[in-house]
Amino acid sequence: MHKRSPINCIVPPHVLRNIATHGTDAQKNLAIETIKGSAQMRGQRQALAEFSVAAFRVAVGGKERVIYDAKHGSSLPGTVVRKEGEAPTADVAVNEAYDGSGYTYDLYNDIYQRNSIDGNGMRLDSTVHYRVGYDNAFWDGEQMVYGDGDENLPEAERLFNRFTIALDVIGHELTHGVTQYEAKLTYSQQPGALNESMSDVFGSLVKQHHLQQTAADADWLIGQGLLTQNVKGVALRSMKAPGTAYDDPVLGKDPQPAHMKDYVNTLNDNGGVHINSGIPNHAFYVIATELGGYAWEKAGQIWYVTLKDKLTANSKFQDCANLTYQTAADLFGVGSVEQQAVQKGWAEVGITVGGTTPPPDTGGGCLEALLRLLGAAPAKQ
Amino acid sequence: MQIERIKFERTGGFAGIRIATDLKLDDLPDEQAHTISELLDDLDFGELPEQMMGNANMPDQFTYTITVETKKWEHTVTTGDTSAPEKMQELLQLLNRLARTQKKQ
Repeated sequence: MHKRSPINCIVPPHVLRNIATHGTDAQKNLAIETIKGSAQMRGQRQALAEFSVAAFRVAVGGKERVIYDAKHGSSLPGTVVRKEGEAPTADVAVNEAYDGSGYTYDLYNDIYQRNSIDGNGMRLDSTVHYRVGYDNAFWDGEQMVYGDGDENLPEAERLFNRFTIALDVIGHELTHGVTQYEAKLTYSQQPGALNESMSDVFGSLVKQHHLQQTAADADWLIGQGLLTQNVKGVALRSMKAPGTAYDDPVLGKDPQPAHMKDYVNTLNDNGGVHINSGIPNHAFYVIATELGGYAWEKAGQIWYVTLKDKLTANSKFQDCANLTYQTAADLFGVGSVEQQAVQKGWAEVGITVGGTTPPPDTGGGCLEALLRLLGAAPAKQ
Repeated sequence: MQIERIKFERTGGFAGIRIATDLKLDDLPDEQAHTISELLDDLDFGELPEQMMGNANMPDQFTYTITVETKKWEHTVTTGDTSAPEKMQELLQLLNRLARTQKKQ
């Protein structure tokens, strides 16, 4: 006999699901039991099956963060300084890494129903205070790593602040993990630039989601706050206007192109992966702005499904354009405003999708196709 | 071994900004030249493998290229953040700083 809990009749399913995801262990178990119980009671076999799978995944691993301190050395991961559920510490970098990886988890989990990097509750490990004077952050295949910028230089010479300072940088690094588990984009040339762009897109969406900003309100900057006041610049990259993030005597000028005609051929930086990412970045910005509202809802959904189900290791920009165009049709319909926005976004960066003829039917217009076959509807141009 | 010249380049990283320097040891302050020579000797630099990239497919890591010239040989080593040997860290840090300073001039 299943013992019914008192929250059974009061709490709506979506709230239960939140508790199952975000609550304490005891709360989770209660919520899971309640979800199962009420589904059984209502005889909703499908709901029960779905909830059980979701609940099981939650039970084996929901949001679980661990922050380590490298103490300015180079060995990873370092010493544990804060674990999931523990109170903030006196170290701002530790707290930023903790909160930022949490906000990233939330975007993926709440919006895209993805439980962590691997989709299966993988623990989110971050190391802060990596090395001395390390003006960088990276994903090493298993965890995030953050340097403190130019903390070893005199203040007047510093160009970079600590890398945890920008939430989109944290979202960027975690998304490298997601890409590693999904499209596995090779980190070189165009597939590498797409890998980078996916990280910028979802890094920016993590920030927008946390701040509850619409596409029109967002700054679309990557690494805002990362540059010190000694630098002439606002961030490291701009998705809205690639090539304009900084122009400084020491750092040089932001080299990102916003159009295929300015594509940079170089051997450096794995074939310019941080440079040419400006092109797909800007396409996403145009699409999100065209659609309006919260960018993570439609544009983000199209990008997420494309990253998860369509892109492969060697995909190039044109492939990504074709696949996002296809995904927009799958999700919103052939010829939908969403699909038109995708077409427009890529066109603005010099990439054509769908040609000039109407998009092909991919299942959305079955009745029309049947009628056409029977001669009851005019043939498409 | 008398080291005459050292070339250093750092590419990639989250920011994708290249920094580089080309140093003749004679032009450096004695103490700095001495430190660099010692660090290179400790590493037995001339015997290091040319490629020390480990898993090169690592997002956002820096790539470092160091070329050392003596009267008798020239040797170039390419390495990355997590693949560089621990004892190379001090050299990388010093060269980073010199590259940054030189770019500023």
